[in-house]
Amino acid sequence: MLAIEAAALRKTYAGLFRREGQQALAGLDLAVPRGAAFGLLGPNGAGKTTFIKTLLGVVRPTSGVVRVLGGAPDDRAVRARIGYLPERLHLPHAWTPVAFLASVARLKRLSMTEAALLRDLARVGLVDSAQRRIGGFSKGMKQRLGLAAALLGAPDLLVLDEPTDGIDPLGRAEIRRLLTEERARGVTLFLNSHLLSETERVCDRIGILAGGRLIREGALEALCGSATRFRVRFAPGCDPAALLPLGFVARDAEGAFTCDAASPEDLNALLDRARARGALLVELARDMRDLEDVLAEALGARDGPEAAAAGGGGPGGGPSDDPGGGAGPARAPARSAGASP
Amino acid sequence: MTTVLAVALDLIREAASRRWFLALGAGITLLLGVAGFTLRMDVVDGALAATRLFGQVLPTDIRSVDVALRPIFRAAAYVIFYGGLGFGVLACADFAPSLLAPGRIEHLLALPVQRWELLAGTFLGVLGLAMAGALYGAGGLTLLLAVKTGVWTLRPVLAALLASVTFAALYGGMLAASVFARSAALSAATGGALFLAGIVAGYRERLATFFEPGAPRALFRAVTSLLPRVSTLADTSADLAASAPVEALDLASQLAGIAVFGLAAVAFGIWRFEQKDF
Repeated sequence: MLAIEAAALRKTYAGLFRREGQQALAGLDLAVPRGAAFGLLGPNGAGKTTFIKTLLGVVRPTSGVVRVLGGAPDDRAVRARIGYLPERLHLPHAWTPVAFLASVARLKRLSMTEAALLRDLARVGLVDSAQRRIGGFSKGMKQRLGLAAALLGAPDLLVLDEPTDGIDPLGRAEIRRLLTEERARGVTLFLNSHLLSETERVCDRIGILAGGRLIREGALEALCGSATRFRVRFAPGCDPAALLPLGFVARDAEGAFTCDAASPEDLNALLDRARARGALLVELARDMRDLEDVLAEALGARDGPEAAAAGGGGPGGGPSDDPGGGAGPARAPARSAGASP
Repeated sequence: MTTVLAVALDLIREAASRRWFLALGAGITLLLGVAGFTLRMDVVDGALAATRLFGQVLPTDIRSVDVALRPIFRAAAYVIFYGGLGFGVLACADFAPSLLAPGRIEHLLALPVQRWELLAGTFLGVLGLAMAGALYGAGGLTLLLAVKTGVWTLRPVLAALLASVTFAALYGGMLAASVFARSAALSAATGGALFLAGIVAGYRERLATFFEPGAPRALFRAVTSLLPRVSTLADTSADLAASAPVEALDLASQLAGIAVFGLAAVAFGIWRFEQKDF
C-alpha cells in the first residue's frame, strides 16, 4: 500500500510576461509506502516545496499523476487524513493556542473539548502557555503549536516542512520522540528538512530532489551505507603498522580501522588474518557515510555530466555511481531502490 | 455550510482582537454613553417641548416628537451609511490579503475545506461584522431616543442594515481584487474607488447631461450602469430612517442591483481562487 504516489509529475509556473514558465517539477516519480518515514532533501529551488504543495492540492500539477493515501489531493476526505506543518506557519497573533487549535479542529470537523486540546498542547510542551497570546511566542513555540495543529485528529499522513526549525536541541529530541510515537501508531511521515542530522535520525527512507526530479531514492542504510567497506575496532594493544598491509586503515588512535571486503567470506578471511597478528576484534559495523556526503555526491554526480555535456543530460540525468548497491539514481519509477521499511 | 460558518466566525473573532474594531466599538459606545447622560428631551403630550445637551437648551420649535426626530434619524443614517462604508473599506482591507498570506493559505488549503468555502466564509464574516456594527450603532441610537422620547421605530435600524448590505457588495469587489493581487493597499483602493464611483453612479442621470450627447454620454452611461448605486442607496437609507415615503419597487430594485453586483464580484473572485496556485 502506498501513502504517496507520483508519476511523471510536472509543474511549470506560467509567467505573466514570460512565454516559457518556470519549471519546478520535471517529471517526478516517487512512491512512498505506508508507514514509512520519508525525508526529502535537495538544494534550494529543487522543487521540494512545490512537490509538498502538490501533495496537498495547494498547487495543481501541469501534468502527471499524484495520489495521496489512495485518493486525489483535492478530495476533502483525503485531506482530512493529512496533518501538515508549513515551513513558516502564519498564526493569528491575538489568539491563544487553545483558540487556534479549536479553529483548526472546527475546520477539520473534529469535535474536541478544551481538555482534549490542552492534552494536545501538553504533548508538544505548550500546556503552560495555553492562555498566553500567540503573538508573544518564540519561533520554536510557534513551531510546536503548528505541530500540535498537524497532529489534530490523528492523521494517517504527516507532511512536515522543517518541523524542528527554531526549536532548541532538547525540544528537537522531544519532537523526535513525538514523531517516533506517531510512527508507532502507523503514521506515514513525509519530512522536508535542511537539517540533515534530523532527517537521518527520523527517517528510514530518503529522496534527493534536484532540478525537479528525484535523483536518488532509497532506504537510508542503502544510501549511506557501503556494501564493501566496514568499520572495525580492535582491543587496545594492536599494531596498526602490522595491520596496514592487510588493508586495515587506522581511523583513530583508539583502535578503529576501516577495511574493504567484497563478500562475507573475504571479510572473515581478513579478520582471521588480523587476529593471527594479535588483533582482538571488539566491534564490527558497516561503514556509514554522512547524509551530507551522500547529498553532495548525488548533486555532484548530477551536475558533473550536465556541465560536461552542456545540458545534454537534463535534470536528474546522473550516472549510476550507486554507492550503496540498494539505492541509486532514481529514474522512473524510483520505488524499487533500497529495502522496504 | 458548516465550514463557511466556521471561517466566518473565525474572521469575526480575529476582528474582535483588532484595534480598528475595538476603537469602533469603543467610539460608538462612548458616543451613545455621552448622549445618554447629557441629552435631555422633554416630551409633553407627544410634542417635543425642549431639548437640552450638556445642560444647554437647544433652540427648537415645539412640534410632534416623531417629526422632530426625523432630521436626527436622517443625519444619523447618512453618517452611518457613508461613515460606515469609509470605515469598512479601511478596516476590512486586509482581511482577504491576510487570509491569503504565505504560511496561512497553504495551511488552510491543506485542511479538509473547499476553496470556495474560504472566500464565501470571509465574505459572510465581513457581512456579519458590518451588520453587527450597524446594528450596534443604529440600534443604540434608536433605543436611546426611544427611551428619552417614547417614540419606538425600527426604521433607523433598517436603514443601517441597508448600509451594511451596500458595504458587503463593495467588499465583494475588494475580495476579488485581493485574490488577483494579495495586497491590502490594492484592496482598500478598490473599495475606495467603488465607493466614489458608486456615488457618481447614483447620480448618473443628472451627471450624464454634463457629457456631450452621443458617444461620450453613452460611454458614461455604460460604465456607470455596471456600478453599485451607492448614493441612491444612501438617499433611500436616509428616507427610510426619516420615515419618508420609499417606493417598495424602487427599494427592491436597488437591493437586487447591489446583490447582483456583490455576488458577481464574489463569484469572480472564487473563479480566480479556484485556479490559483499558492
